[in-house]
Amino acid sequence: MRIGAPVVASTIKNGMSGGMPAFGGQLTDAQIQQVIAYLLTLTRKDSGTVTGDAAKGKVVYDASGCASCHIIDGQGGDSGPELTKVGALRGPGYLKTTLLYPGSDLPQARVFLETGGLLDYMFIDLVTNEGKTYDGTRVVEDSFHIVIRDAKGNFHSFPKSDLREFKKEPGKSVMPSFKDTLSGAQIDDLVAYLASLKGAQ
Amino acid sequence: MKTFPYAAALGAWMLVSPAYFLAQNVPYDRILHSANEPQSWLTYSGSYNSQQYSPLKQINRENISKLKVAWIYQPSKAVSNLEASPIVADGVMYITEPPSTVTALDVRTGLRLWTWSPTLPEHVVSIGLYATSRGVAILGDSVFIGTADSHLVALDAKNGAVRWDVHVADNAMGYAMTGPPLALKDKIIIGSAGSEAAVRGFLDAYDPKTGKRLWRFWTTPRPGEPGAETWGAGAYESAGATTWNNGSYDPDLNLVYWGTGNPAPDFNDDERPGDNLYTCSVVALDADTGKLKWYFQFSPHENHDWDSDEPPVLFNASIDGKPRKLLGFANRNGFYYVLDRTNGKFIAGKAFVKETWAKGLDENGRPIPAPNQEPTLGAGTLVYPSITGGVDWTSPSYSPDTGLFYVSVHETGAYFIKGTGKIESGPPKGIVGGGGIRALAGEQSYGAIRALVATTGERKWEFKMLAPAWVPVLSTAGGLVFSGTDEANFFALDASTGKPLWEFFMGHSARSNPISYEVDGKQYIFVTAGDTYLAFSLP
Repeated sequence: MRIGAPVVASTIKNGMSGGMPAFGGQLTDAQIQQVIAYLLTLTRKDSGTVTGDAAKGKVVYDASGCASCHIIDGQGGDSGPELTKVGALRGPGYLKTTLLYPGSDLPQARVFLETGGLLDYMFIDLVTNEGKTYDGTRVVEDSFHIVIRDAKGNFHSFPKSDLREFKKEPGKSVMPSFKDTLSGAQIDDLVAYLASLKGAQ
Repeated sequence: MKTFPYAAALGAWMLVSPAYFLAQNVPYDRILHSANEPQSWLTYSGSYNSQQYSPLKQINRENISKLKVAWIYQPSKAVSNLEASPIVADGVMYITEPPSTVTALDVRTGLRLWTWSPTLPEHVVSIGLYATSRGVAILGDSVFIGTADSHLVALDAKNGAVRWDVHVADNAMGYAMTGPPLALKDKIIIGSAGSEAAVRGFLDAYDPKTGKRLWRFWTTPRPGEPGAETWGAGAYESAGATTWNNGSYDPDLNLVYWGTGNPAPDFNDDERPGDNLYTCSVVALDADTGKLKWYFQFSPHENHDWDSDEPPVLFNASIDGKPRKLLGFANRNGFYYVLDRTNGKFIAGKAFVKETWAKGLDENGRPIPAPNQEPTLGAGTLVYPSITGGVDWTSPSYSPDTGLFYVSVHETGAYFIKGTGKIESGPPKGIVGGGGIRALAGEQSYGAIRALVATTGERKWEFKMLAPAWVPVLSTAGGLVFSGTDEANFFALDASTGKPLWEFFMGHSARSNPISYEVDGKQYIFVTAGDTYLAFSLP
């Protein structure tokens, strides 16, 4: 059964007879929205069917440098999301779209705001007052500071007052597109491999 | 109840600070003339005019960069957000800890002098609110607290011993006290929360010596009373308009000013046609009798949870060359209002955040509704501002030095979803009526400290913040404006320009009035961070 966010909010607020208590007195409306926003991040993004060959896809994965940024079963770099269980969390359609157009459906960062919103995944370009340039994904931000993580996985922390330029690029991913570097068959094989990753359990 | 002997604990200080023992007596005259003792902080907002302004200037634009943490107080048991504004008098600070504990601290060190907790029922009803206390009031040698289960309690300021305890309202029906009392010459004024439980709001006055109730003003009328025609048949039975924050007082006019909350049920106006007086209003009451002198309703027939419970700010200024007694109010509905506080007449009003629900205000300050801005079933209707409004309960500040009104604003909208629940008789089980909102994504919202010309609402400057914040504002004679971000920064801005001059990351955002006091010739700035109290001073 699919239920909408308002119903979930009402359920959290008012409880359900025979079990779930009402949290209306303990959680503010904004906090309830935060809970819902978090629940939405757990949703499996599911679409499409596997058409490729998972064994061939593993070869493509190993040859394309994916492991420099992604971990599978403890192996690889950690600047991108871990993929050990990605097949359980993401359907083939989503995986294929992400390989072709990495910025098309970026996750929200788990930075909760009192209003109930979430900060988006965000690519940041910045230039310090001394003229040094940096780019990477936003790790955390407040009104006075920004911490980004570059493509190598290194953290860089800046007071905003030390920045000459500070540019947010919504919809831009640090991951390259494989649209022009892999063939259609290779993409399908890679999708098949990723979709097969369901974790040890 | 836990107390420990005040005198024994403080004996050592008597040698260096004999004033310690002479005091703990704050008669009405001291509160009335609080401007004469800037070292103290004697009411929720520092004075009867609720300006959230400190005349202290040791900490100022030139030296603010050196401000450091002086001491930290952590409550004895883990609590959620602290929202209390402390009272500071004669070397002692009185704070509260959720839900209803009162603690006295040494203002120099943060050491605990005594603490008192009420015996609360096993199940305290707190519907649509967080069971906390925003602080105590002091009068004479007593401190006063409204508890989560709706008792008003007077404590001996020297040791926390209970002087009297009166049951104000029925917690089982949803009445819960979160706001601080306001101490007048011979009365303790207190209201209650509970609009989400569809209680009928009121404001009470009690005798400080005995706890006897002297008057009660119901914030919604009964049939036959003025204003009853603004409700549908029977709707007045459960009406809202609760009074869950602090108010203000003009001793010359002898008027108490208090904001009121939303009508019940929220997000569903089917059964309550009309303006629904006196919800979402400011009421001016005769302090002696509790009789209504005037009212001004900011949001007639309100349906977006935009309570008007921020403390009204009283200030005097010239309008068209004539000195006027004014009341400034940055309302949750997104408009800033200037009223004549002698009669409630509208003088000026201007939106201080993006708002889409009204086309503007008419010559009497009444909003001109925009079409299609009511909550709807299903996906809801996008309305600006959001449920938290342009600003919620967090106090603004007025500086008589700059004539500016400083407010921490929420720039965001939300999809408002209509409720379908009905008010039922008997004790409420949860928020009455249902409905709610769906917030916009984080990047579509932001916060700011805005400086408005207090007499017009015209924006002088703003300091942008990443997210809408829930931190009240303090301005000082040092030319500074203190407030915080939702991300946990506490900061000082130049009161004239909004330029950031100092910032400290506290690890958790503040939720209390920043205040200032002075002891032993040293000025302190004081605020909460999550469940911690912090005092700052120069080295």
